[in-house]
Amino acid sequence: MVLKKIICVWMFLFLATGVASAEGKKKIFAEFVSYHKSVDAAKVGLNDDIWKSIPSSRLPLQRQFLVFPKPMDVGVKEMSVQSFNDGKYITFRLSWKDSTQNTGPKLMDFSDGAALQFPVNKKPLPEYFMGEEKRPVHILHWKAWRSRDKQEGFQTVKSAYPNMTVDMYNFDYKVKGVGTEKTQAEKDIFTPGKAAGNPLSFDHKEIIEELNSEGAGTLKSKNIENTSGDAEWKDGQWTVIFRRPLTVSDPLSARFVAGEKMPVAFSVWEGERRESAGRKAVSPAWAEVKVE
Amino acid sequence: MQMRKVYNWQLGRKAAYVYPLGRPKKQWAIIFDLNKCISCQTCSLACKTTWTSGRGQEYMFWNNVATKPYGGYPQGWDMGMLSKLGLQEWDGNKYIGKTLFEAAAKNEKILQHVADDKDWSHPNLGEDEVAAAIERGDWIRIPHRAWMFYLPRTCGHCTYPACLGACPRKAIYKREEDGIVLIDQSRCRGYRECVRSCPYKKSMFNVETRISEKCIGCYPKIEQGEMTQCTTNCIGKIRLNGFVSTPDNARKDNPIDYLIHERKLALSLYPQFGLETNIYYIPPVHAPVAYLEQMFGPGAGAAVQTYRSIRDDQTLKGLMVLFGSMEKVLHGFKVDNSFAYGYDEKGNEVVKVPVTEPMYIRDFYDKKLNVYRHNTP
Repeated sequence: MVLKKIICVWMFLFLATGVASAEGKKKIFAEFVSYHKSVDAAKVGLNDDIWKSIPSSRLPLQRQFLVFPKPMDVGVKEMSVQSFNDGKYITFRLSWKDSTQNTGPKLMDFSDGAALQFPVNKKPLPEYFMGEEKRPVHILHWKAWRSRDKQEGFQTVKSAYPNMTVDMYNFDYKVKGVGTEKTQAEKDIFTPGKAAGNPLSFDHKEIIEELNSEGAGTLKSKNIENTSGDAEWKDGQWTVIFRRPLTVSDPLSARFVAGEKMPVAFSVWEGERRESAGRKAVSPAWAEVKVE
Repeated sequence: MQMRKVYNWQLGRKAAYVYPLGRPKKQWAIIFDLNKCISCQTCSLACKTTWTSGRGQEYMFWNNVATKPYGGYPQGWDMGMLSKLGLQEWDGNKYIGKTLFEAAAKNEKILQHVADDKDWSHPNLGEDEVAAAIERGDWIRIPHRAWMFYLPRTCGHCTYPACLGACPRKAIYKREEDGIVLIDQSRCRGYRECVRSCPYKKSMFNVETRISEKCIGCYPKIEQGEMTQCTTNCIGKIRLNGFVSTPDNARKDNPIDYLIHERKLALSLYPQFGLETNIYYIPPVHAPVAYLEQMFGPGAGAAVQTYRSIRDDQTLKGLMVLFGSMEKVLHGFKVDNSFAYGYDEKGNEVVKVPVTEPMYIRDFYDKKLNVYRHNTP
């Protein structure tokens, strides 16, 4: 009986310290600064000189560990981030090592990618992984597929499989003047993603997708509000910049205020390892960016 | 992962699944008589021209026919999965081995075999390959020494779908009215967890739309009370599409229930995967029972025996002639001395077929027309 009590007390202490350490994880794991510069942050290029004057913060990434399936290992375990703003726009420049470029869709080819996540409201701070119900997060998601789409035109099954042969698509069959010609809308019926209006199935002007999330599995694409990006793969390294206004009219978007700290979290996907969705590298908790 | 326990009648026990039990009101099912399939691919083409003729769907066969033991679409889909699962055991009709959900690593939801691009690139590789070399002086006996058979497949619209359980954003749902499993084309984000997780490999990625698609069980036809395109276009009349009940609710006059539960002639495909899939097969009598048991479970040997005695079984004989005899889904059937009858949901007769086709023997010489005739059956 005494032994049981001792075990109970021990268990309680164990649980209490466990909870405390879980609380500890909610704390900020890193801080960096978005410097105020008099350079147009809305148009800054990937390799402009300004970046040489901005200190870079190296941040650790780890395997996503909260939602099944949880990858046992991830391809990218460290990234660097730089940031500056001009009072109207804010820019983040991410870089990480990746020896393989994964820029095109195939049946089992996955895209390299990176995402920034901000809380829509800082208080109360949402769960750092994908937000939580009624405490949404705002996500800026870059995919290498989209970068290549922008350079070479929207990649299709023909660009993915250039040696493919097809006899005929029946919606392309036409004999002039007998009503066999189809409108684009009629042709799109044969491409279900397009017919259903899925944003992934259409060409986009921008390589960054904006989304909201209220917990894992609730990701929802939304309209772009002057967000733009650029990406480059060189010498085994991806460099990606995300540019966006400090504030926009959409109430579900992050608002950056000069002089305040903004929580931010990161995700990186290594397409070569078939990383997608929750199979990804994530920051261990919220980081904070101090907006100058 | 913390799994739920759900009853799987194909395994005779409760088994692990991602979500709690949620059986539909009715469950879509197809029965295939493998003794009659000739791999003409009319089903594959009927499906393809109806549903997957678009860009990005070129490689897709929601319905396909492969030659067993070596063929497969994608190549090696079943061998790959079975070798990952490893040797597992049945104890009589109860499965005591691990299902794919039970064999999952602790960080995963389900044990996966992932098919590569090249596996999808030859939809009928291994066609007509037999399981052994033909030797000089060989002759045919039953079961065949050098055997093969054709395996037509669709999505099984499983009771416990792996695709649905694996989807990270609940873009896949199982319809309450007929049990058909669909991918919401507006919600899918192309993560391909369903493609990785479906052991039957019937979720497929569309490169053009960058999201996944799967067999839709011809739900627009089912809603009209009609069978799927692959069923009604089958020229060998090997298929019967309808609704299967659980064993405790089985109705003897439902042709699907009668074949699956009452006579145990039609068996599900790789029941050991633990998905309670709903495509059922009458095993081919000429293939080795050991192989059939691996593919269809412990009832394969008895099913072969039952099939071989159909000629003396008026009800089964009658039911077999109802296969491919009409477009309407049959909810009931009856066989008398001469005819087999099929009924719709309201009990109206929708088809009547003679159990034995009448035979007419004509005179060798037709005096009236002054011609000789051969009686070619």
